Amino acid sequence: MVRHGELTSAPGLRRRGLLLLAPGALWLLLFLVLPGVILGAVAFCARGADGQVEWTPSLGAFRRLAGYGILGWSPDYLWILVRSVVVAAVTTAGALALAYPLAFFVASRAPRWRPVWLGLLSVPLCTNVVVRTYAWELLLSPGLPPAQLAAWLGWIEPGRALYPSLAAVCLGMISNALPFAVLPLYTNVERLDRALLEAARDLYASPWRVFRHAVLPQTLPGLTVAAVLTFVPAVGMFVITDRLGGARHMVIGNLIQQQFGPARNYPFGAAVSLVLIALTLAGLALQRRRGRGPL
Amino acid sequence: MIRRAAWWLPLGLGLLVLYLPLLAAGLASVNASRHGLSFEGFTLTWYRQLLVDPQVGAAARTTLVLALVSTALSTLLGTLLALGLQRAPWSRRASAALDALVELPVVTPDIVFAACLVIAFSLLRGLSAWFQPGLLTLVLGHVTFQVAFVALVVRARLVLIEGELSEAARDLYADGWSLLRRVTLPLLWPAILAGALLAFTLSLDDFVISFFCAGPDSTTLPIYVYASLRRGLSPTLHALSTLSVLLAALLVLGLERVSRPFDAPEATP
Amino acid sequence: MIRWLLLTLTALCLLGCPAPSSGSGAGGPEALNLYIWSEYLDPALVEAFTKETGTPVKVSLFESTEEMLAKLQHAAGTSQYDLVVVANQSVPAMVRLELIQPLDPAKLPHRAGLDPSFRNPPYDPEERYSVPYQWGTVGLLYDAQKHPQLEPSWAVLFDPARQVGPFLLIDEARDQLGVALKYLGHSVNSTDPEQLKAAGELLLAAKRSEACLGFEGGVGGKNRVAGGLADLAVVWNGDANRAIEEAPEGKLAFVVPREGSIGWCDVLVLTREAPNPAAAHAFVDFLLRPENAARLAAYTKYATPVGAAREHLPEADRANPVIYPPDAVRATLESLTDVGDSLPLYDEVWTAVKAR
Repeated sequence: MVRHGELTSAPGLRRRGLLLLAPGALWLLLFLVLPGVILGAVAFCARGADGQVEWTPSLGAFRRLAGYGILGWSPDYLWILVRSVVVAAVTTAGALALAYPLAFFVASRAPRWRPVWLGLLSVPLCTNVVVRTYAWELLLSPGLPPAQLAAWLGWIEPGRALYPSLAAVCLGMISNALPFAVLPLYTNVERLDRALLEAARDLYASPWRVFRHAVLPQTLPGLTVAAVLTFVPAVGMFVITDRLGGARHMVIGNLIQQQFGPARNYPFGAAVSLVLIALTLAGLALQRRRGRGPL
Repeated sequence: MIRRAAWWLPLGLGLLVLYLPLLAAGLASVNASRHGLSFEGFTLTWYRQLLVDPQVGAAARTTLVLALVSTALSTLLGTLLALGLQRAPWSRRASAALDALVELPVVTPDIVFAACLVIAFSLLRGLSAWFQPGLLTLVLGHVTFQVAFVALVVRARLVLIEGELSEAARDLYADGWSLLRRVTLPLLWPAILAGALLAFTLSLDDFVISFFCAGPDSTTLPIYVYASLRRGLSPTLHALSTLSVLLAALLVLGLERVSRPFDAPEATP
Repeated sequence: MIRWLLLTLTALCLLGCPAPSSGSGAGGPEALNLYIWSEYLDPALVEAFTKETGTPVKVSLFESTEEMLAKLQHAAGTSQYDLVVVANQSVPAMVRLELIQPLDPAKLPHRAGLDPSFRNPPYDPEERYSVPYQWGTVGLLYDAQKHPQLEPSWAVLFDPARQVGPFLLIDEARDQLGVALKYLGHSVNSTDPEQLKAAGELLLAAKRSEACLGFEGGVGGKNRVAGGLADLAVVWNGDANRAIEEAPEGKLAFVVPREGSIGWCDVLVLTREAPNPAAAHAFVDFLLRPENAARLAAYTKYATPVGAAREHLPEADRANPVIYPPDAVRATLESLTDVGDSLPLYDEVWTAVKAR
C-alpha cells in the first residue's frame, strides 16, 4: 500500500494511530478492564464481619455459590442459575418467534412506509426499561382486563394480580427484547436474494422447502445477531425480574444486585458476576460457531 | 409464500406486546380515580402534580444533562478510537486485542458493568473526593459503555469509505490532516451523527449503571421511577411514563428527519 | 462534529448545567441533606424549617436499613448526607463502623422536652450520638372486608395450615427476623445461632409459599394492601394508620398479633463527615420543639417521644390504640437492641432468606 503525505512509514502511522485511540482505549482500560480484573480478584476474597472486603484469599464466595451456607446445603443458587438461563432462553425464543415474521412484514411494505413501521417498533427502545416494566406492572394488576381474563380462565384467583410470576417476567422480557430482535433481522431480510426464492419456486419446491432451503439459510446471520442481542441482556436482567418476578423468582441479575447493595457482600457478588460472564461468553461462543463475527 | 392475512397476526401480537402496557399507563394517567381500576372521568390533575414536582424536574434535568454531556464526550472519544483503529497498520495481534477491547463493553452484561464501575469508583475515591457518587461518576460510567458503540458505528462506515476516495485524495497529494478534514470527516459525518444518536438513546435507556453510580443529588428519571415503584403504583407515575413515551415518539420522529438526508441514496432503490 | 459539539454546549448553557459536585453535595453549599425512610416526614415541616432558617433541605429516601447501610458504608454516603434517620439498634454498630459522629448537646436545648423514658436509652446511654425521632410497633395491616375474622397471630404468615394470602413480608432484617423469633417464642434479640437458624428457615418457608408475594420495604407493603395487590402485609403501625384513614371506613385494619411484637424507636444521627453539621443540629432541635414534634406525629401517625408534644396532638390520634397501644398490647412488645458480635449472623441468615 502506498501512502503519501507527511506520514508514510508504518511506525509513523502506528504512532499517529496510537495517539488517536489512546484516550478512548485508556478510558476503557481504566474504567472497565482494570476494575474487571479487580472484580475477578475480589471473588477470591472474604467478606468481613461488617460487610467490608477482606483481602485474604478465600473460596468462601464459591462455597456459598455451590450451596453451602448458614442454613445448611441447598441447591438454591444452582436453581437461580438454571432459572436465569431458562428465562433468557424462553425470552430469546419468544422474541425471535415474534420478530421473524415482523421483519418480513416490514420488509414487504412499500419503501415509503418502512420507516413508519420501523419507527413504531423503535419508540419503546427510546423509553426507559424502568418505564416499560412499570407499565407492565400496571397492566397486570388486579381488576384490569388481562387479570380478569386469566381469572375467568381459572389460571389465577379472582382479584389477584398476574405478577409476581415467571410468566409475567417472560412477557416483560419479550416485550423488552422485541425491538432488539426485529432491527437486525429486518436489515437481513431486506437484503434477501429474491432471485433464489424465484428459482426455488420455479423448480416447484413446496412453500416449506422454499423456506427451509432458500429463506432460512439466508436469514441465519440476522437470526444469530438477534439471538445474541436478546439473550445477553436477558441473562443479566435485574429490573424486570425484580419488579415482575418478586422474591420467589430470583435470577442471577437480582442476586448480583443484592450482593452489591443491601447484602454488602462484594466477594459473593463478584463470584456470581464471574458466572454471569461465563454464561455470556458461552452464548457468544455459540454464535461465533455459527459463522459470523461478533455483532 | 404465506397468506396476506397471516402477516397481520405477528404484527398485531408484536404491537400488542409493545404498546398495550404503555396504552394502559396512558389511560390510567387521565383517570380521575386514584387506584385506577374503574374509569371515573377524565382529568389532567396527575400531569399538573407531576410538572410542579421539584424532584421530578431535577431528575429530568439530571437525565438530560447526563445524556448530553456523556454523548458529546463519547462521540469525540469513540470517533478518535475508530480512526485510530482503522487508520493505522496494526499487526494482526494488536488489532485483535484492540477489537476485543472495543467489543468488551458491548457484550458485558449491564449488571457486571455496573459492578466493575462500583469497584473502580470505590478505589478511585481513595485518591480523590471527586469520585463520590454523583453526576461526574454517572458521566464516567455512561461514557464507558457509549464509547464502544460510537466506535463500532463510525468504524463500520470508515471501512466502507476507506477505499477509492481516500486513494484518490492521496493521489492528489493530500497530507494526513487535510485528508482527514477534507475527505474523511465529511464522509464520516453521517456515521458520527448516527453514533452520537445511538449514544444518546443508550444513555436515556440506561438504568442499571446509573442505579449503581448515582449519588443523592444526581437522581435520574429512571432511578426516580424505580424508587417510587418500590413504594407502589401512583397516578403521577402513570403520567410520567406516558410523557416519556410521547417524548420517545418525538425523538424517533426527529431522528428520522435528521438521518433521512444521509440515508437517502440507500433508502430509495 | 464541531456543529454537534456546539449544539450540545448551547443546550447545556440553556439548561444551566450544574458543575459536578465534589463532595459538598449540591443544592447550594448550605443545604441540609437528610436521608430517611419514605413517607416519614411531613413536607410542610421541611418548608417551615427552610422558611425559618433559610436553609434548603434535600431529602433522600431509602426503603430499608440494609439499603441505607450499603449507601453509607460503600458509596461514600457519610460525606453526602448530614442527618440520617435510623433504627436505634443500628446506632452502636454505626458508631463501631465510624459512620456517625457525636452531636453537640449545647445546640439541642429542646432535648429537655423528651419523655423521661426516652432519655439516656440503653443504645446510647450518654445521649452522645442520637436523638429519638418517632416510635411504634410492627403488626399486620389487612383487608378487613376480605378477612373480617383474621386470626390475630403471626401464624397467618408462618403456619401453612392457617396461612392467609397473598401477603407481603417487610424488607427489614431485624424487624422481620424479630417477628419470626417472637412467633417461635424466642427473644427478638436472640443471639442463639440455633434459634436464628430456625427463624430463618421459618421465613424461608413462608417466602416460598404460594401465598407470599415477596418483601417490600417501608411503605411498599402498606401501599400494596391499600391498592388491593395483597390482602395483608407486615408493616409499621403508623403507615398502617395512614392507610386505614385514607381507605373507606372499615376496609382496612391493623393488629399486633398475640404472640407479641417489636416496639421500636427510630433516631436521628449525624454522619461522620456531614457537610453541614450546623444546619443538622438546627433541624434536629427544630423537630424537638413540641409543636413541631406534634405536627410530625400527626402527619406520620406514629407516636412521638417528645412528652411536651402530646397536648398539641389531635384528640383522635391521642386516643388511637394503633398509635398508642393499650397496656395489654404494650406488655407483649419487646425492644430491638444491638446484637453486637451476632450482627454478621443476622446478616447471613437474612441474606440466605432473601437470596434463596
